[in-house]
Formats: sequence, C-alpha cells, structure tokens
Amino acid sequence: MIKKLLSCIWCQTLGLVLAGLLQTATAADLPLGQPHLSPFSANAYMKEMRSGGPSKDGIPSIDAPKLWTATQADTYLDAQDIVFGVYANGEARAYPQRVLVWHELVNDEIGGKALSISYCPLTATAIGFERGTTELGVSGNLINSNMVMYDRASDSYWPQILGIGISGPHRGDSLSEYPVVWTTWQNWKQRHPDTSVLSTSTGFIRNYRSDPYGGYNPPSGYYEIGYPLMFPVMKRAGREFAEKQMVLGFRTAELAVAVDLEHLRRQKVLHYEHKGSHFLIIHDPGLDAGWVFQSPEAVTIDPDEVAFTAEGPQSEDLESATPVNSFQALWFAWAAFYPDTVVLNAAKR
Amino acid sequence: MLQNADHKNRLAAAAAIVYCLFYLFTLGDLSLGTVGWTWNSIPITLERLLALRSGLQFEAVAMAELGYVVFLVSPGNLLVAALLGSLLGLNVHGALSLRQRRHCGLSASVGSSAGALPALLAGGACCAPSLLLLLGIPGLGAFITLFSWLVPVSILLLLSSRWWQRHQGAEAVMGVF
Repeated sequence: MIKKLLSCIWCQTLGLVLAGLLQTATAADLPLGQPHLSPFSANAYMKEMRSGGPSKDGIPSIDAPKLWTATQADTYLDAQDIVFGVYANGEARAYPQRVLVWHELVNDEIGGKALSISYCPLTATAIGFERGTTELGVSGNLINSNMVMYDRASDSYWPQILGIGISGPHRGDSLSEYPVVWTTWQNWKQRHPDTSVLSTSTGFIRNYRSDPYGGYNPPSGYYEIGYPLMFPVMKRAGREFAEKQMVLGFRTAELAVAVDLEHLRRQKVLHYEHKGSHFLIIHDPGLDAGWVFQSPEAVTIDPDEVAFTAEGPQSEDLESATPVNSFQALWFAWAAFYPDTVVLNAAKR
Repeated sequence: MLQNADHKNRLAAAAAIVYCLFYLFTLGDLSLGTVGWTWNSIPITLERLLALRSGLQFEAVAMAELGYVVFLVSPGNLLVAALLGSLLGLNVHGALSLRQRRHCGLSASVGSSAGALPALLAGGACCAPSLLLLLGIPGLGAFITLFSWLVPVSILLLLSSRWWQRHQGAEAVMGVF
C-alpha cells in the first residue's frame, strides 16, 4: 500500500517537472518584441483586471480562418464597412470588423508570417502580434475595458493595448507587434485589389450582420461619442478629446503619444521630438490612416512627394527612419493605459 | 371573463411564449432586420452542444435567416428559455387562479411573476448584457460577475413564488404543478 502511494507521488512529481519543462520550452515559441512603456507594475494591472462576463475562450478566437476573394467579399461588405488590413510579404488580407467583433482574435498566417490579429470592441483597438508556433486566446478579462489575451503556450496574460505580459512566464515581456490598418473596405480594396478577406465561415454560429455594441456608419450605440463607459478605468482621461473619440496612438520604451486624427488629416505630416528622438507621423489619404517613423535626426518630408504603395509610405527621405507601430484607440482607453501620454493636436505643435 | 379555465390556460401559455421569445431576443439568439432566406449549420457534437459562451448562455449550432428575422438555434438556450417560460406561465396561471378565488389582489399575485425579470438582464453579446447596453448604464461592468447568476436567481424566484401560490390555494396545472 505504502509502496503504491510512494510510486504515485513519484509519478506525480515527475509529471509536474516534465510539465514545467514543457511549459518553459513552449513559452519560448512566442516571438518577443522590443520593450515598450508600462506606466504601472504588473501587480497593479493584475489588481485592476476584472471579468468581462464570458469565461476563458467564451469569446472564441478563429483558429482556422477561411477566406473570400475581394469579389466574394463584395456581396457581404458595404464600401464603408470597417476592415482591419494586414499586408505581409506581398500578401494582403482584410478582417471585417463585423466578424471580429464576435471573436476578437484570429490566429492566422499571412505571407508565411504567423500572426494574431486582435480587435477589442470596447476600446476600438485592432493590433497585430507575431505568434510564432502558438496561438493567442481571449481570457474573458478586461483592464480599462481592454481585452486581456492569453497565449496558449505559457498561459501568460497580455492586455492588448499594453502588449506586455502581466502574469505567467512572460510577465514583463513585450509582444512583437505587426502593423494593422483600421480603414474601410472601399479604401483597402482600392489599395490592395488582390486582397483576401476573412470569411464568415468561422466554425462558429454568430449573426455577423449585426454588431452587438452599435454601429460605425454613423457611430451609434456604444461607439457614440456621448455613450458612457461601462467598466472602471485606472485613470480618467483628460479633456483634450471626448472619451469616445478615436486617436492614433504609438509608444516607445520612453513615451506614449496620442495624435488627433483630424489634425493629422489637415496637416498631412506631423513632427515630434523627444530627447533627441524625432518622430514623423504621416497621414495616408488613401487609407485614411497614420504611419509613424522614428529617426535620430529630424526628417523633413514633403507630403505631396510621398508615394503610398502596398507597403505603406515610400520616400527617399524615409530611408534612415525606423517604422514605429501605431494603432487607433478610443481616447479614454489610451489615456487610461498611458496617463502621461503626449497629445499632438491643433493646440500643441 | 378571466374566471374561465380556458382563458387562464391561454393567458399563461401566451405569457410563456412571449417571455421565451423576449428571453431569446435579449440573448441575441433572435433578432430583427432585413435579411435573406438562408440556413447555416455546423457539425453538432456533444462538446458543441454543451459549450458555454458565458453564465448559462450556450453556443448555437445553426442559424436561420427568415426574411426579417434571424434565429440562432442553440438547444441549450432553447431549453433554458422553455424552462423559464414554463415557470412564468405557471406563475401567471397561479396569479389568475388566486385572483379568481379572491385570496389576494391582482398586483400582489402578478408581482410574484417578477422573478422572471432578472434572467432578461443576463443575456449578453460579448462583454455587455444586451438590455443594459441598450439602456447605456455607466459603470455597469463593476457588477458584471453577478450577471451570470441572474438565470439561476430567476429560476429560484419563480419556483418560490409558485410554491407560495400553491400554498395560498392556487389550482394545480395538469394536476401536478
């Protein structure tokens, strides 16, 4: 009897050790990116994390995406429907907001690159992450109304906007981000006529004709400027913008910047300098989106001389500059994650 | 007129059906809009039938677009809707029965059916109960974990009020309930 018990304990211990080793090995399969700003400690984020209602994977990610051609997608998408566009190694793909609002994550492969395309409806943020050999899933938790993802290799938790692990083996690590463009179906199709499109054959049954939160054409329901916040935030936003106004945000290891999209549309190009780093923000009129570059020296650029191709803005002046990932977000959410954010608007040049 | 047993049964059945439909609407399994006529389904497995989206909200296995109505077929949700609807029907029947016997006023007896209300707030799309999303109540998220309890709470309240009605002398339905 005692022999049996001891052998059982031994087996369990061995199992635990093996499981630990396996987790360490698989945790390494998730590509990590350059560290970026984290204004609060991992503990503070964990303390702020709350249930959003659904359980883990209760909002199911799409793990075997099926695709439409642009022509097929035309029968489903209206010209002004929001899509999240991704371009990798010569391949373009559009992810309709009407599909992602029900799933929040697609684990996909585009142009040979394994990517997770994430969308949080409550903060209006669409961000791409390199996922290596693992997948990201929806934990069912929220911080500042923003989805908290988990990776299926190590079960570390990652708030989407922050992109930094707050628990598990990846605590403190930054995910490697990949550009995702928030635009309309019309704009994306014009830039990428050969684009593929995530179809509604997701493996799940949802009413993809409707958005449970409201609509974007025009903004209604939860997306309306005056609609109240539903979840508490770590810091309330300043009055630079309305809480539900979209801003273009980007961050480095030192700072976070929120750009007034209307101001960017008017100015076409914005410059910002911080401790010897020069940032250039370019408006892409074809996609109505922003691209951000960083350079150790000031870069002067004539917006009318910039060519916008499938890869984004092209100009000889940009050769020495490094792209910085940026994404749109509702102001309240950006300010809650980055309370000391720099604001670039008409009042600040 | 309400003294007629047929009327009581019809009213109770109507209340049960209307409640079922409204419950499915708050879950998002039933919605209105101009759509085509299509049928879309996925392979039905036990795992999929029992898969939960949140609380007591189950995954759908098929979707029917019926001109102006979209119906997501989720056997689990249909069962919960039928259970809640039946309990409400029993409560309405009991309320009418007690009124007929003048054991209590209509408002008091109909009030016993209010236990059906919490479940209507439980249905949600993703991170938001749909009825409250529609009303736009700020700070609602602070209480989100309580929402998963609303269906069981409704079932308990409806069972309790039905027990009370029977205790007060309300007629049994089908000789049992």
